[in-house]
Amino acid sequence: MSAKKYQLDPHCEAILEEYREHLPQFEQVKNQVLSLLKEVFEEVGLIVASIEGRVKTEGSLAGKLELKGSKYASLGDITDIVGVRVITFYIDDVDKVASAVDRLFEIDWENSVDKRKAHEIDSFGYMSLHYICRTEGFPYRFEIQMRTVLQHAWANMNHDTGYKSGVEVPKEYLRNLSRLAGMLELVDEQFSQIRSDLTDYRRRVQALVASGNLDEVQLDGDTFRSYLQLKPFDKLNKRIAAVNQAEIQEVSLMPYLAVFKAMGCKTLGDIDNLIKKYREGGYQIACYQIGLTDLDIISSSLGPQDLCIAAIVKNGGGKRDITKLFDALNGESPSNEMMAEMLLEQVQDLPFMNQ
Amino acid sequence: MEVKIIEKDNVLTAVLNGRLDTAVSPEVSAALQPLVDQADKTLVLDCKELSYISSSGLRIFLTVRKAAAAKGGKVIVKDINSEIRQVFMMTGFLNLFEIQES
Repeated sequence: MSAKKYQLDPHCEAILEEYREHLPQFEQVKNQVLSLLKEVFEEVGLIVASIEGRVKTEGSLAGKLELKGSKYASLGDITDIVGVRVITFYIDDVDKVASAVDRLFEIDWENSVDKRKAHEIDSFGYMSLHYICRTEGFPYRFEIQMRTVLQHAWANMNHDTGYKSGVEVPKEYLRNLSRLAGMLELVDEQFSQIRSDLTDYRRRVQALVASGNLDEVQLDGDTFRSYLQLKPFDKLNKRIAAVNQAEIQEVSLMPYLAVFKAMGCKTLGDIDNLIKKYREGGYQIACYQIGLTDLDIISSSLGPQDLCIAAIVKNGGGKRDITKLFDALNGESPSNEMMAEMLLEQVQDLPFMNQ
Repeated sequence: MEVKIIEKDNVLTAVLNGRLDTAVSPEVSAALQPLVDQADKTLVLDCKELSYISSSGLRIFLTVRKAAAAKGGKVIVKDINSEIRQVFMMTGFLNLFEIQES
């Protein structure tokens, strides 16, 4: 909206002029703040829902000046010309973001507000942390708002009611909004609690895996990931690679989670037993296939692949079962059946089949 | 060994024709450089006319895959013959690529 529509006195016009002169610097600072925050979040592994920034438009500033221009002695008194908002997924992360902001910028504590602490024990409403900040070499302050996705959603809904527009809003409506704020506060806490519980669970699982109590660990995505950190297929892959002095290309073995589940593994101990039982068969299959070639590169997926084939054929599985394995690992293709057929023929005379 | 690069609808296709062995791998690697440079796109390695692949060839395919993984693109290996499919299987390369048949 153009500033021309506003009735501004000369004092406010001067503030607006100062704003126009410094507009490129405001843009620059906004971008700097955004990239510094992104950088530090990446550094500490903090995943946030969004980081956004804006420079107040001339129309918006003019509107503000028209309403309460006399309150500001100069442009420097307006602290939200540059505004940045960080939206987090978890309530605990708001404090993490705040400490990152504290590390990066000088905080004007007197004018910063923690709306989360502003509520009475029996009131619920806007929850957000607002820091007024300064950065070196720039005379103007700027604002960083930090809140969770749910707090953000509530703030937007609250804003849409026109609550601040001076229009009388029925009490019942406001009460409903307040109830919703209370509920979202509980949901936010629950999300954080679930995350903490999951982190505890992962730690316990990692401890069990590290201590070798694999029979006690149920097989799922998390536990399998922890198990793979122990590099359970390394020995087999290195033995296979040694046949042709091949280099091993490390790849993710997570696709094998579904394969091991389909093979009836319920705990990590089951996979460990499978490895012990069929690693020789897996090695013999690989040896037979690459031994007479000059292929000197394999992927780390080869060991588990051939181990699974050995387990299938040794347990009386046929072409259909090997095809299913290839389908699961490589995607469905008519060629999988052809390869399964060929493999089945190859393995029949290998020593492990007759031991 | 011939390599032809075709760009269409944000998809970069390398049509490989011949035997990809150690001797030709430097020139194939150079010819595939546009795919590595533009690895944020969908990259197709059209192997319909590729009759053989050696370890050097597999390494070239891997380089393209790594570039795509780094830049957010994806690699599709299209129409490999049964011998090359067997090489992929024997080396554990099959599930490294999205393999398509036309």
